[in-house]
Amino acid sequence: MKANLSVKNKRDILLVTLLFTILGGIYILVRLFAFQGEASIANVYYGNSNEPIVSIDFVNYRVITNYNQDVPSSYGQVYPIIDETSNTITLLGDYELNGTRQIVVIQYNYGAKSVQIIQEKSPNNICSREGVSTAWPLICLPNRIRVEFDTNKEDFTV
Amino acid sequence: MSRMTKIRKMTLLANFLAIAIVLNIIESAIPIIPVPGAKLGFANIITLIILYVYSFRDSVVITLLRVVLVAILSGKLLGITFYMSLSGAVFATLAMGFFKQLNYFGFVGVSTIGSVFHAIGQIAAGIFVIGSTAVIAYLPIMLFLSIPAGVLTGIIAQRFYIIWQTWHNEIT
Repeated sequence: MKANLSVKNKRDILLVTLLFTILGGIYILVRLFAFQGEASIANVYYGNSNEPIVSIDFVNYRVITNYNQDVPSSYGQVYPIIDETSNTITLLGDYELNGTRQIVVIQYNYGAKSVQIIQEKSPNNICSREGVSTAWPLICLPNRIRVEFDTNKEDFTV
Repeated sequence: MSRMTKIRKMTLLANFLAIAIVLNIIESAIPIIPVPGAKLGFANIITLIILYVYSFRDSVVITLLRVVLVAILSGKLLGITFYMSLSGAVFATLAMGFFKQLNYFGFVGVSTIGSVFHAIGQIAAGIFVIGSTAVIAYLPIMLFLSIPAGVLTGIIAQRFYIIWQTWHNEIT
């Protein structure tokens, strides 16, 4: 029993070391090489949709609203709200406080080709803590709003 | 199985379920992981312990009950986090059950494999509930963090198992 246990312990140590090296290596490689390119466009999505609500065009310096969010009329506002002076986009998220859905404010920067979530309400505020992103996807849960970057210019036709 | 052991098993499983629920709730309040809705899986300690102390079937039942009860208690049944933790828990339990049966690795090995599968399961569910493959970008960091979590879980479960064995042998 004692010998059997120590053999297993050795295998355990080997397995953990192996996994640690492989997965650690993958992580470092991804951090260093993936999501490094300069984005030409950032798409803002809501829910499960694959149709971006708002597209931020970093090449032509403009923000395109593809369609309005389907918001109950009781909110008395049409979302998304595009503010060209402060460079923000305001969307309505899924997270509710006292039965009211909360807003998510996205700030974009044409010069740096970057996007940042500057205001959102959620239990852990993970997506606003991610900070400024130039390529890394920003995912806001439970608000179900996400920002994805695209470097491929050919894909972008309006 | 005598009546006494049956009652003892029932009480123990009920206690384990309660501990697992508390662990799960505490865990979801600590944002260690940079992935929305994802957890490191410390509640897997209980899944692992039951797997060794009782059986695979018992650990599946307790794990599923834990996921559903946590969702009901936090009022998020059938929400995004529910599907993610359900998928993660199922992946982890199946992986741990398989590798325990294989009898090749010890506690730490089985637990680490379970933890890695927990991460994979959560991200897999995340792709469907978020509706975007962008979640995969978070898989490397999740996998990497799942190793220390798995090792810690394994060490705690092993420690418990050794104590439980002496205690169990004393009273039977």
